[in-house]
Amino acid sequence: MKLRIKNFILVTILAFVTIGGTTSCGSKKKLAKKEYEAKVAQAKADLNAIIEGTTEWTLEEQKARVEEIEKSDLQNQEIDALIVKAKEVLARELAEAERAAEEERLRKIEEENRAKAESKTSISDYFAIIAAAPDAETANEKINEALNLFASPDVPVLIIVYQMGDIIDFDAPTTAEKYLNYIKDQKSVTVRVNNVKYDDNDKITELELIKK
Amino acid sequence: MTNVLLLSMFFIKTSEAQSYTNLGDVQTDERAFYTMTKQMSQFMSRFNYEEDQYGTKISPESPDYRDRMKRKTVLPLLFDMDNPRTNGSLRDFFIADLTEKDANYFEFLGGKWYSEVSATFKMNGEKVDISMIFTIEQENLGSKWVLTNVYFSDFSKLFPKGDIAEQQKHFLHPMSHELDFMNIYKIFKTPESIEYYASNTYSPDYLSIFFYEVKCGNLVFEKVNSEKFHVFQIDNWYFEVSWFNREGLNTGWLISNLVFLKDDEKEELLKFYQPNINK
Amino acid sequence: MKKIFLTLLFGVFLLGNTQAQELSHERKQAVDSLALEKVRDLSKYIKIIGSKETPWSEANRVIDRAEELFAPDAEIGVSSLTTNEVQYYKVRQYLERLMRLNYDRVEIDWYKIEYVSDLQRQPDGTYVGVITVFQTFKGFDKEGRLVYQDTTKKDITVYVKRKETQIGGRLIGFWDVMLGDMRVKETSIK
Repeated sequence: MKLRIKNFILVTILAFVTIGGTTSCGSKKKLAKKEYEAKVAQAKADLNAIIEGTTEWTLEEQKARVEEIEKSDLQNQEIDALIVKAKEVLARELAEAERAAEEERLRKIEEENRAKAESKTSISDYFAIIAAAPDAETANEKINEALNLFASPDVPVLIIVYQMGDIIDFDAPTTAEKYLNYIKDQKSVTVRVNNVKYDDNDKITELELIKK
Repeated sequence: MTNVLLLSMFFIKTSEAQSYTNLGDVQTDERAFYTMTKQMSQFMSRFNYEEDQYGTKISPESPDYRDRMKRKTVLPLLFDMDNPRTNGSLRDFFIADLTEKDANYFEFLGGKWYSEVSATFKMNGEKVDISMIFTIEQENLGSKWVLTNVYFSDFSKLFPKGDIAEQQKHFLHPMSHELDFMNIYKIFKTPESIEYYASNTYSPDYLSIFFYEVKCGNLVFEKVNSEKFHVFQIDNWYFEVSWFNREGLNTGWLISNLVFLKDDEKEELLKFYQPNINK
Repeated sequence: MKKIFLTLLFGVFLLGNTQAQELSHERKQAVDSLALEKVRDLSKYIKIIGSKETPWSEANRVIDRAEELFAPDAEIGVSSLTTNEVQYYKVRQYLERLMRLNYDRVEIDWYKIEYVSDLQRQPDGTYVGVITVFQTFKGFDKEGRLVYQDTTKKDITVYVKRKETQIGGRLIGFWDVMLGDMRVKETSIK
């Protein structure tokens, strides 16, 4: 960013110098030449920075700068060669950035899922805690805590009892509240979590269990 | 005694090897419960060797399923050992016949097996014992127990097997019709012999009489006293299975009676259990 | 949500007769296990209800849950060694009687033996089986003396019906297991 501001100031000063110095034809030519050389020098510097990756501009800014140089048509072979090279570099970097962005997007989703999965573990944890509760009172407290993970106490709980190919047999559907109480009464957990569905508030809307 | 010992040896293994999770928390000698043939269903599974000594069902695809040699070792456990008829040579002959080839299985839907339910009714205020005979009948997607006959001594007494000479005295002569059956009143003067005037193919239908008495409100059900089973499925043999609730290792549903019965004799006996069997 | 779920449950429909088919051995075993689990659930409930340490409110809640395991018209027939007279109880009546038994302490234990019959189908296609379990009951008085004990064989009818329901837009095929009549017989084996 700093470099960009510096560059901007430099270009502005050059512009002032150019405007301020239009007094005579000879000096005009001189100035025009100077101006051109400064532009070429700046363009080279910028293009090299882009190619070498030393600029702090964003990819968009770099792209805009290359286009700007290309448009100003400086008629300089070296610059033309640098433009081609810079474009290549930018294309590669853009492609990389796109991939990185996609990678980042996926990573975020996975992280969210992991976070959800962690809350799934906590259902399993609650199962174990409720089963091991020393008395009904403690178990009831834990049931109320566990119910906070669900969109409502009536969220359906499905239990797979048999699975072979496309045949899936479930136990009769029950509800979160009933199932948690069931664990309390039976004092054992005979299932593991197979699948969980969440709403936008990350509350469970369907819990699918499978017999161990 | 030797048998009990054998039994116990067979099931000691069972008891120790029992490992599947269950609800039990009683730490005692449970051999008696293992040896007990706990259900008729288990009787059949043991009889056919469709479950192993641990009570686990054997898959029909398994080579052990109905294995003849193993069946031979399990069959002796299914007999009442206090009864000479079911604890001697006759039993051994029966087992030899059963295991001679891969056949002679006792099938739930195989027909020719009956449940005899002894119950108490009240007939005009007095307690009476009536045995009801049921058989499994297939219907739609499954099956059900249906009544095939009843045995009630009062009903049987109504139709004594009279002396043939006496029976032959009772008839309406073949020209009775020409006289508007004016002689018919004589039939009703001796109601005890009225069935002699029926066709030779007639046989009393006790079940209909039973239904009639129940419908008229003369017979009122009180309670079931016991049940047992009569099995005619095995070629040339008939056996009874009864419930033995007693201490020891020879308990539950066991063969309480065994009769070597040629198939033609069996047909006669079957008529009592299921009078309409051939209809 | 509650309403939706209830609608879903009521939306359950039985499989048509045409879909009757033989179950594989493994699938049958899964059904057997499910049926056995219901009986084990019942046995745990019975322990909770019978225990004098269970708070009254908990015992009542558990009675509700135990009652839910049974078909509405199920009955319990009880007989002892001394009399073969069978006493009939409604499920709730039986469980409430268990809760109110007049002992200071009660021990209810289950033997490690369970037997599950083959499932047979009745004419409407519902599977019917019987599960046998054994229980010991001990009642103690204030002084901790054993004043009553028995060992009973419990033969419990189990009905298994294949049903389907829509949940979250998905068709769920499930086994509806209901306990039916239960015969409680005192046994000579201790």
